[in-house]
Order: sequence, then C-alpha cells, then structure tokens
Amino acid sequence: MTQTPAVAVRGLHVRFGDVEAVAGVDLTAEAGQATALLGRNGAGKSTTMKVLAGVVPPTAGEVTVAGHDAATDALGVKRSVGYCPDVGGLVPRATPWEHLQLSARLRRMPDWEERGRDLLERFELGDVAHRVVGGFSHGMSRRLSVVLAALHEPAVLLLDEPFDGVDPLGVDATLEVVADARARGACVLLSTHLRDLALEACGEAVVLRGGNRVAAMRAGELTGEAYRALLD
Amino acid sequence: MRSSTEAWLGAARDTGHLVAFRARTVRRRRASAFGLAVALVLTLTFAVAPNGLDLEALGSPAVEHALASVRGNLGAAFAGFLLLAISSAMGSGGGRELLSRSEAAVHPISPLTEHLGALLLAPVNLAWLVQVWGLLAVTALVAPSGGLAGAQVVVLAWVLAATALGQAAGWAVEGVRRSPHGVLVVRSVGGAVAVVLAALHLAGLLGPLVRSLPTTWIAETAQTPDWPLVVVVLLALTVVAVVAGARPAAWALGLPPREELRVQSGVHEARHAPEPRWGSPDRALLRRLDRASVWRSVGMRRGLMVLGLGPGLVALVAGLEWSSVMVLPGLTASGAALLFGVNAWCLDGKGMVWRETLPVSAAAVFDVRALVVAECMAVVSGVTVVLALLRNGLPPLVVGVAVASCWLVVVVQVLAIVMTWSVRSPYGVDLSSPRATPAPHAAMAGYAGRLSLVTTLTALLFTGLSAVPWAWVPAVAALPFLAWSTRRLVRARRRWLVGDERARVVLTVAAV
Repeated sequence: MTQTPAVAVRGLHVRFGDVEAVAGVDLTAEAGQATALLGRNGAGKSTTMKVLAGVVPPTAGEVTVAGHDAATDALGVKRSVGYCPDVGGLVPRATPWEHLQLSARLRRMPDWEERGRDLLERFELGDVAHRVVGGFSHGMSRRLSVVLAALHEPAVLLLDEPFDGVDPLGVDATLEVVADARARGACVLLSTHLRDLALEACGEAVVLRGGNRVAAMRAGELTGEAYRALLD
Repeated sequence: MRSSTEAWLGAARDTGHLVAFRARTVRRRRASAFGLAVALVLTLTFAVAPNGLDLEALGSPAVEHALASVRGNLGAAFAGFLLLAISSAMGSGGGRELLSRSEAAVHPISPLTEHLGALLLAPVNLAWLVQVWGLLAVTALVAPSGGLAGAQVVVLAWVLAATALGQAAGWAVEGVRRSPHGVLVVRSVGGAVAVVLAALHLAGLLGPLVRSLPTTWIAETAQTPDWPLVVVVLLALTVVAVVAGARPAAWALGLPPREELRVQSGVHEARHAPEPRWGSPDRALLRRLDRASVWRSVGMRRGLMVLGLGPGLVALVAGLEWSSVMVLPGLTASGAALLFGVNAWCLDGKGMVWRETLPVSAAAVFDVRALVVAECMAVVSGVTVVLALLRNGLPPLVVGVAVASCWLVVVVQVLAIVMTWSVRSPYGVDLSSPRATPAPHAAMAGYAGRLSLVTTLTALLFTGLSAVPWAWVPAVAALPFLAWSTRRLVRARRRWLVGDERARVVLTVAAV
C-alpha cells in the first residue's frame, strides 16, 4: 500500500494579473521528511509556500496539503499547517504572547502555555514575551515567526526563509524545530537561498527556476556546482 | 557651508522631487484629476453661491438673528481655523510626511524639506477642507456683493497664514513632546488650556475675548476697500511663519520620538482569553487584538481623542444649536474612518499574511474588523453628540429623533463606504508614525472630500427633517439610507470572501 504524500502539488499555476508567479510546479513531500525548496529570487518559492499555507488560492493545478484541497478547503489547510512567511508575518502592535494565544485558541489547543513558553525560551524570546513586536529587530521577528509556525505541532511545517537575518543561536533553534517536526512524523518544507543550511536541515531538495521545478533529488546530491548549474 | 537661501532653494527642489515621486505613484490618474476638479468647483461654489442669497428679504426674525450672529462671529470663525490648524499639526506629530519614515530613512531629506512637505500636505485633511469651505461660505453670505472678491482673497490669505502658523506651533509642540517628560508637559498644558477656556466660558468672558482678537479686525476689514492691506499683512505673516517654522521643525525632527518608541517597546501583560457571555470566543479574541492595534498606535489614539473632544468642545463653547450640531457626527465619524478605516486591513501591516494563515473563517475576520471600525466612529461621534447634549439639554422629540437617526445613518454610511474601499483599494502602509496616513495623499484627499460631501448632505437632509412636526419622519427617512448602506457593506463582505480577492488584499497590505 502506498502512503499519500503530505504535500502533493501537480501543475500548479499562480497568476497575479499578467504576471505568472508559478508556472506549472509539480512537487511531493512525504510525512516525516524535510524537503528544501531552493531557487533564485523570483523562482516562485514563496508563492508556492503561500499556496500551501492557504493564503493564496491556486490559479490552476491540484494542491493537496495533509489531505485537504487548497482550492476548496483553505480552512482545513490552515488547521494542518504551520507557516513562517518570508517577510514580516507579525501584527505590529501585538505582543508575542498575544500572537501565540490567538493561534492556539483558534486551533483549539487547551494547554498551550507551557509549550509556548518553552518555544519562546528556546528562541531566546522569553524576556520579550509581553513586549509589542513593532520594536523587534528583523532577526527577532524571524525567530518569533518560526515559533508561531511550530506552536501547534502541525502536520505540515512550512518555513520560508527562516534563517534570513537570524543569529547562529536562532539558526540552531530553527534546525532543532525542523528535527523535532521530522521526528514526530510531520512534513517539513523549507525554502531558502542558503544551500548549506538547507542541506543540513533537509533530506530532499527541489530546485525551482522561473516558476518551474527544474530538479528534485536527495539533498546530499546537490553539490555547489550542481546547484549553480541548475540556477543558470 | 551653505547659505540660508541655498538651503531653502535646495529644500524646495527636494520637496518638488518628492511630490513628483508621489505623483507618479498615483494609481487612478483620471479619477484623481476628476476629484481635484470637483474640489475646485465646490470651493468656487462655496465662495460665490451664498452671496446671491438675499436672506433679509425673507423677513424672518430667526433668519435675521442667525445672519447677525454669523456676521458678529466671523472673526471667531477665523480664530477657530487657526485653532484647527494648530491641533491638526499637533495631532499628526508635527505634520504629514511625503515619504514614510522607513522609505525616507535611506534618503538625505532635510528637516526643512520635511517642513515644506508637511505644509503642502496640510490641506489633505478633512477638517481643514471643511473649515475652508465653511469660511468661504460664511464670508460670501455676509460680504457685500461689491466686496466679495476682496473678502475671499483675504480668506485665502488667512488660510495660508493660519496653516503656516499652525504648522510652526505643531512642530514646537512635537519638539516639547519628544523632550524628557515632554508628553506629560504637553498633556498638562493642554488640560490647563481646556480648563482656562471652560472657566472663561462659564464666566461669560470667552465670547468677548475671542471677538477682541485681531481676527475680528481681519474679518471686518476684509469687507471694506482696505482689504489689500490685510492681504499684504497676512502674506507677510505667512512668510514669517513658514521661515520661523523651520527652526522648531529641525529641533523636533532631531529628537527621538519618545512616545512612539515607548509604545513600540510597550509591555502588555498576558490576559486570559475572553469568554464572552454571548457570541463566539474566537471573534472576541480577534476583536481584542484589533482594538489593541488601534489603541496602541500613537497616531490613532491621538487622532481619536482629538476627534472625540475637539468638535464636541467647539459645540459646547460656541453654543452650537442642534441644527448646527447635526453635521458634526458625520464629520467626526469620517475623520475617525480616515485614521485607518479607509484602509482597514492596514491595521495588521505585514502581519496580514500570518493572520490569513489562522484557521478562522474569512467572514468572522471581516465582521470583527468592520465592528472595530464602527466602534471607533460611533465613540468619537457619540462624544460630540453627548457634549452637544450637555450644552443644549434634551432636544424636542422630533429633533432628538432626527439627531439619533442622522448619527446612525452616517456611521453605517461611512462604514459601508470605507469597508468597500478597504477591499477594493488596499495599500501597504506603515502606521507606526503619527505622521503616516493609511493611504497615499492623493487617495486620502479623495476619500476626505467624498466622505465629507456625503455625510454633510445627509446631515443637511436630517436638519431639514428636524423641522417637520412629526417625530416619525426622520426615523422613516433613515430606513432607505440604512438599507442602501447595508447592501453596500454586504457586497464588500461578499467580495472579501472570494479567495482571489482576499489574497490580493493580503499581499498588497503586507507588501509582499
């Protein structure tokens, strides 16, 4: 018996007016695995992630996330997914704790405080748990976005540029979150420009170029030369 | 070292570059040009049309009394405009900005350029626009036909001078506010001024004091052949105020914005999730977050307080009667909507993407946001009505019904309009600075003009209805307005519920 992939994307197209941000991406990602999504700026990585998070509906193609069709059941997708967006992702005048509280309550998590506190401590945000995030540095915001994505132990964890501007301790904490998610059987998709970190965190790699998938392979096979060749 | 003249010329050139940059980003050029033409036609109409009315020919003692009162208080109206210019500049942290703080940070923009930009943007303000139209209309009403042109030139010169003076005062107050304990000083002085004004009013001295101000001389001389002298004086005053305003501007902009920094690093201890007696806990939590986003913003909090108390205090002190008060709820509700409601989703900023990943229905998100916008409008316009109630006492039944109906209609009307705009034309903006606006300046000017026009016309209708002998008439007249606005609101909600439309709004507001 074959297991249904946690994320299955076939022929995904996303158009914004005249611009085709994603032009026929195919992608599968299994539960218990971490897959790196690599590519240059404008390759369609972040848009694909937004579709998988239920934020942007697909223009065409089939997208299934944890068994939910992204086109018809966006709410089901949102319940199953934890998403760290590529930019910002925080309500400027709310505190980290208020972000966590809202996310937990809407996902019907009865005892979330302890896990919330633990995650904030792991990402060194415990001291600023009740401070408005508008004054946070870029790195602090990125770390909090990862915490929010991981809080409810989602079946599918989507991390879009989680290492961007983050210090080494934050990088370690993020790698730990990815490892934990894999260990409990979640599917992790991690989009980044940083090949080395992608290889450290993920077992599989998918390379996008111009809105298309150009390669899918074991992460270990993606050498620096091979990666550069795929980007050109 | 650059000379002062070179600095001013350089600042003027930079302001031109910034204005040109902003002009190039105007999305709907035809609509903007049309809006500008409408504003000019309206201005011309207010400046000329009332002069053709021969109210004395009506022979009504009430009308004659009102006309005499308008004539006697024209100088006070001029003084009121100066007060408005000062409070607007104070409320907006010194004055509006041509480029947002984050956008401007990488450019060598001098405080002088900021000062000139703020002066240029002062008219992009509902209260400013309405007051100018009011001054022009009142002057046209009382000026002799032969002296109308001269009187209106004086009005325009006064508008320039008062705006420049207000700007200079606004920068000075912002400078004080940014100094150690400055917020406390500004609040204390503001409170003391309010107490003194109230005491003068209760002692019956405020009216004579206001009438003895030089603005009365300006208003009276404007209607005589000596008006060119007034224009020259006012233009000279404008130049002095513009030049003098550069100093407090440089001072204020050189200091850290303490209040904003304090709010941005503010600590808010954890609270239990709300458990409402009725309604969904999810919605209650969303509502709490949205309310916090409003009240934790320096600009919005300050704006709501000014809008709530300002017009109400004017009604209280100036002794406005119910017929005049009727127009205020619509204008204050519009002012509240212009703080963020015209681009309601900007409250979430870049967090809009994260909000959209939460497993909650899009309908609930829309309903809660609309409710929070409506709350802000209802509260500030409600304060105005309550203060008018304190001044005038309980009105006759028909007037009371007309005021209540008008209030309800304008709040629902403005809510429906701004939620439609929010879904149709979202903008990615950073509202962390009180100098920021929720939409580009051209759009804000259009929004301000349209909201003031719609709500003023509605108020005029209900003012007319308050004169009929049947109390049920205003209530019945409100029904079609409410039905139409509700339909519009439902249509905006339906549009928001479409996934593609919502994604467009989310990505635009979050600027990703």
